[in-house]
Amino acid sequence: MSDHKPKNTTGTKAPKAYGWMAEYPDEHKLLEAARKVRDSGYTDTDAFTPFPVHGIDEALGIKPTVLPFIVLCCGFTGLCLAVTMQYWMNGVDYMYIISGKPMGITPASVPVSFEMTILFSAFSTFLGMIALNKLPRFSNPVFTNPRFDRATDDKFFLYVSASDKYYNRDSVKELLGGTSPDVLDEVVEDGSPAELPKFVWLGALLVVLTGLIPLMIVLNIRESFSEKPRFHVFLDMDFQPKKKADQQTTVFADGRTMRPQVAGTVGRGQLEEQDAFYLGYDPNDLAATVKMTPTRLVSLQDGAAQPPADAPATQPPAATDSAAAPATAPTANATQPPAAAPMPAAEAPEKPWLTELPIEANEANMKLGELKFQIYCSACHGYAGNGDGLVHKRADALAQGTWLPPTSFHIDRVKAQSVGKIFNTISKGQGKMAGYANALTPKERWAIVLYVRALQRSRDAKLDDIPVDKRSSLEEAGSK
Amino acid sequence: MGLKYDKETIELPASWKSKPLPLIAIGLILLVISYTIGLTVAGGGTDSDRGMRFATHSYLANFMFLLSFSLGALFFIMVQFLTRAGWSTAIRRVAEIKMAILPYSGLMFIPVLGLVLTGNYALYEWNQDPSKIHNSLIRGKIEDGYLQSNYFTLRSVIYLALLSGMSIWFFNKSRAQDESGDPELSLARQKWSGPFIMVYALTVSFLAFDWVMSIDAAWFSTIFGVYVFAASMLGFFSMMVIINMALQKAGKLQGLVNVEHYHDLGKFMFGFVMFWSYIAFSQLVLIWYGNIPEETEWYRVRLNGGWEYYSYALIIVHFAIPFLGLLSRHVRRHKAGLLFWACWLVAVHWMDMTYLVMPNVKGGFAVVPMVGHLIGGFGALALFAGFFLLKASNVPLVAVRDPRMPESLTYSNPIL
Amino acid sequence: MATTANIASYNPREIDNTSDVPGHRAPLITGNQTYHSVTEMVCNVAEAPQPMLWYILFGFSSLTAVMFLSLIAFLLYMGVGIWGNMNPVFWAWPIVNFVFWVGIGHAGTLISAILFLFRQNWRTSINRAAEAMTIFAVVCAGIYPGIHVGRAWLAFWLLPYPSLNLWMWPQFRSPLLWDVFAVGTYASTSLVFWYMGMIPDLATYRDRSKTKMKRFVYSIFCLGWTGSSRHWLRYEKAYTLLAALAAPLVLSVHTVVSFDFAVSQVAGWHTTIFPPYFVAGAIFSGFAMVVTLLVPMRKIYKLENLITLRHLDNMNKIILATGSLVGLAYGTEFFIAWYSKNPYEGFTFMNRAFGPYWWAYWIMVSCNVISPQLFWFKKLRTSPFWMVVICIFVNIGMWFERFVITVTSLSRDYLPSSWGYFSPTIFDGLMFFGSFGVFMSLFLLFCRYLPTIAMSEVKGVMSSDAHAKHVQDELMGVHSHGHHH
Repeated sequence: MSDHKPKNTTGTKAPKAYGWMAEYPDEHKLLEAARKVRDSGYTDTDAFTPFPVHGIDEALGIKPTVLPFIVLCCGFTGLCLAVTMQYWMNGVDYMYIISGKPMGITPASVPVSFEMTILFSAFSTFLGMIALNKLPRFSNPVFTNPRFDRATDDKFFLYVSASDKYYNRDSVKELLGGTSPDVLDEVVEDGSPAELPKFVWLGALLVVLTGLIPLMIVLNIRESFSEKPRFHVFLDMDFQPKKKADQQTTVFADGRTMRPQVAGTVGRGQLEEQDAFYLGYDPNDLAATVKMTPTRLVSLQDGAAQPPADAPATQPPAATDSAAAPATAPTANATQPPAAAPMPAAEAPEKPWLTELPIEANEANMKLGELKFQIYCSACHGYAGNGDGLVHKRADALAQGTWLPPTSFHIDRVKAQSVGKIFNTISKGQGKMAGYANALTPKERWAIVLYVRALQRSRDAKLDDIPVDKRSSLEEAGSK
Repeated sequence: MGLKYDKETIELPASWKSKPLPLIAIGLILLVISYTIGLTVAGGGTDSDRGMRFATHSYLANFMFLLSFSLGALFFIMVQFLTRAGWSTAIRRVAEIKMAILPYSGLMFIPVLGLVLTGNYALYEWNQDPSKIHNSLIRGKIEDGYLQSNYFTLRSVIYLALLSGMSIWFFNKSRAQDESGDPELSLARQKWSGPFIMVYALTVSFLAFDWVMSIDAAWFSTIFGVYVFAASMLGFFSMMVIINMALQKAGKLQGLVNVEHYHDLGKFMFGFVMFWSYIAFSQLVLIWYGNIPEETEWYRVRLNGGWEYYSYALIIVHFAIPFLGLLSRHVRRHKAGLLFWACWLVAVHWMDMTYLVMPNVKGGFAVVPMVGHLIGGFGALALFAGFFLLKASNVPLVAVRDPRMPESLTYSNPIL
Repeated sequence: MATTANIASYNPREIDNTSDVPGHRAPLITGNQTYHSVTEMVCNVAEAPQPMLWYILFGFSSLTAVMFLSLIAFLLYMGVGIWGNMNPVFWAWPIVNFVFWVGIGHAGTLISAILFLFRQNWRTSINRAAEAMTIFAVVCAGIYPGIHVGRAWLAFWLLPYPSLNLWMWPQFRSPLLWDVFAVGTYASTSLVFWYMGMIPDLATYRDRSKTKMKRFVYSIFCLGWTGSSRHWLRYEKAYTLLAALAAPLVLSVHTVVSFDFAVSQVAGWHTTIFPPYFVAGAIFSGFAMVVTLLVPMRKIYKLENLITLRHLDNMNKIILATGSLVGLAYGTEFFIAWYSKNPYEGFTFMNRAFGPYWWAYWIMVSCNVISPQLFWFKKLRTSPFWMVVICIFVNIGMWFERFVITVTSLSRDYLPSSWGYFSPTIFDGLMFFGSFGVFMSLFLLFCRYLPTIAMSEVKGVMSSDAHAKHVQDELMGVHSHGHHH
């Protein structure tokens, strides 16, 4: 029947037989034979064809596949994942407004949800098909017969496996022989290795391990710390042909890259720096008394950066108009190294501090000032402004010797200060005291000034200062 | 050579042949009732009153619902010839009858034209003196003569003439083939289906712009024609399933229309549920994202005053539920299941046509007048049935001598 | 027993199978093919020594590809300033090229998915090559946004991964991110679809390979396919499911690409017809590219009996249909721009047709709308020479369509003081040209090493067509021969 002989029939041990394989010239003969085999009760059968033959599932009794349900589930998973992901990422964890669109799930979430559904469905279709078919399978007994190469070309094969529970070598041979196949062969083991050769595995392992090396290097670099400057694979715009604010330049006479504001400039949000209410002095008065130059202006700004030490060296004399400045102007500061002048602002000319409160001295402001004073000031300065607050008492008790007591408001130096100066002290601090500009609004600061003035006044108050109808109550309190 | 048909099975049931005129009468009466309810319950008979607006809008929505089945049928027939399709031959005559009643349905537009020509502006706001209109976008359209009663009427007549002409041409060729069996008749339709489909595309686009889009004369959307087309196709395929099943239930078309045809119609229903959603979503997301006032107005009236629930419901009943329902091959091959979804889709198709028109009445969703509008919807269905039976009374229910009939009777849906 | 291949018996005069009498389907493949002769013809493409032309073409296109890659390296070094993109036209050639290539990459999946769903069996001869072309076009497309972002090595920031450096997530309300998902899904799903379709044919290549090495490699790639009926059953189901998934996917991709433009408020971009119009345009250009590639391919590899005039005729009809749809969309846009009375829309469209870029607009219209109308003539539709000429015009037109949309609207925005005129640099031109090198190199490699025609599907259609004819004959009472029951 067959002109092909299994390779190792000469061995003493009979090769393992897997079943019978019949070959047909077309799909109609195959279908006929398959029905016959099915009707004989064999179930562990299969057909091998170059294209899907319709009706073969019924002819062989193959059940429908569960693949669509797998795909449905995976697609639904993809959808849920996409919706959750978009909701959480843009609606919860990292919210920000883009063109006024709402957070969370909107019509804009549809495209990504759709794509993720398709992505999950498509991959589950392919992988599901592969898995259900138990592929890849490179070693298969059907390959042992060279005739089988035509199964992917133009021949049709019907196979009855030896593992069928009704399998009987001779009766299957007889049954298949009765379907007039072109060739009928027994599928036998040919001794060829069922495993991939070792070198393939080794090669694959080597490739995988080599492929891991760059990844490990990247991870290592990302997770470790180094004192050395960053290694730039890509420049990432880290080096650009421009100057940064703190670098030197030869373009400008003073060598500074960062340019001071031109006199009279009012930047956005800087209006308050031009107003007595925010400053404690009228800048116009200041400008009237002090001739302004950019250098001067910068040095007048409290806390401003020191001009570079070499600035005067590069400064052409023509550019220096400091000669016209008053003698008290800190021109000398510019010529001194920064270390020698740690507080240039302190040597700035005394500003024309306000002498009149810019807020009304009414009960509401007084109450506000009292409240804020008691919250922010009394801890050190004490409720009466004696410089004996709780912090001071505690520090005194610790007696470490480095404690400078808070200033009392009732000493002459403070009493002589104008309201603008006190306002400035509250705003920017003095000595160890920090500025409170970030905690208190200008109005609250002025209210505190009002309250401080009231405290000072109370020390020297006379009975005549008290309204007539209140005097009696005070007298009563004093008598007790 | 030739197929033998049982004459019984390809004729309309005798009892149905007496029904067309009563059905048409019922349809007209229902439409009149619906119009009256709109006019009275919604209140007010002058053009600027809500009653008049409601009644005229309701009529237009129900007219579009009626026409859409024929619009879909015409496209379907043309595509069958354009692609030399064989599978559909057995069900093609039913579609051809639906197509051939397009002139009758078209006649129902005459009342609208009457309104327009008599200067009524309850339906088409642009149909009045431009000096009375504040919106410059609308005024511009009137002033340059595009939205203007005579020109509008002329265009409408041209649309109906072109569509009716093509329908009649295709139907006559098909009837001629019943007699002669001449394959040349198929070839002629194949040849002309290409140019005709281009005429169709232009006509339906502009028809949708003029008749439906211009009720909100300030608004514009380039996709609107495609939207109306997609909706019409969905209505057509669903109605195909209903009619074929009704005929088979009456003992007709036995052995001619089989589960394979229903399966394919089911696939088309499913496909057009998706296509409609795609088009509707495309229009929504672009306008929502762009957020330009003159465009969002259309959605604003549909997302306020009670219409928002209707709009959201449409997403569920016009997309989500039928999508899941028709997803399975088993449902598409199951007669009762498919019939259920066909009825469902005809109902939501009516909802969709209502959605395109009725919110423009302005003033929010009103339940009682909407019942009147629903009565008009049944009127449109009765008219459709009457027209269909009228046309079907004296023609065979299949294209008996179409050379592609054997292919249609024997094909199968192997895997999908 | 085995039929000899009838490559030799091929008649150089084309057999016209484009028309048929209703009721009698003309054969899809010509020359009385058997299963074996189909195998022979297809495998011959890879098994026979490649013609000299292949080496010439490959040499040229691979050199062009190398030039492209070098230019990309140069671009990464220098920055995107080497292109002509400049205020106000920052979306210029790179985006035009991206949309152009993505559009071309629509035909393959359309043929394999949508035509499959519509049971258009003629697709079996052309789907493999078209799918391959799709993948290669998407590869070319994907390069452009990647290098356009400036820092291409950080392109992974587009993905929603938990970043320890940035502590932030991508912006899901941006259509550009939708693009990442759409094009990513499309590329990977198309690849899976293409590969899955090839598995049975790779098994054929395996079984016919003469050398051990080839057999080994093809064995690995066909996953040990045996053609088992149980496998086929699940395979067909999977193929059907993938087709059903890929059909809406292919629509969604160009829809999302159109969203890139249409969600904005730029006049000429913001119009609701964009999604279906872009999809129609994509199919249009994709089919034009398939025809352009397949006509020479069938000639060089003598595949005229498998890729017959009927296939080409059908594709040309689709080109005609989609070209007309694109024309309809142009017309609708123009009409609505006028109808809407929106001054910006009106200006934009007048500017397109009669402004500084009038030449681009009229190239677009004549190539996209007028040239495919020539396909109304059957003579041109079935002439391999003329169809290639028209298809090349179509592709030129489709490139200009994207150019017109992108550049004219950006160069004339709402603020006349910011108007400008875009001029490309030499790098724009060379890089566009170079992307064709990548595309052609990949396609030539595909012809050489992979099954160019889906043999198993062609055989399946041969079988089912014969079966259908048999059943119809039985119904009509005609005694047919060749069947055994």
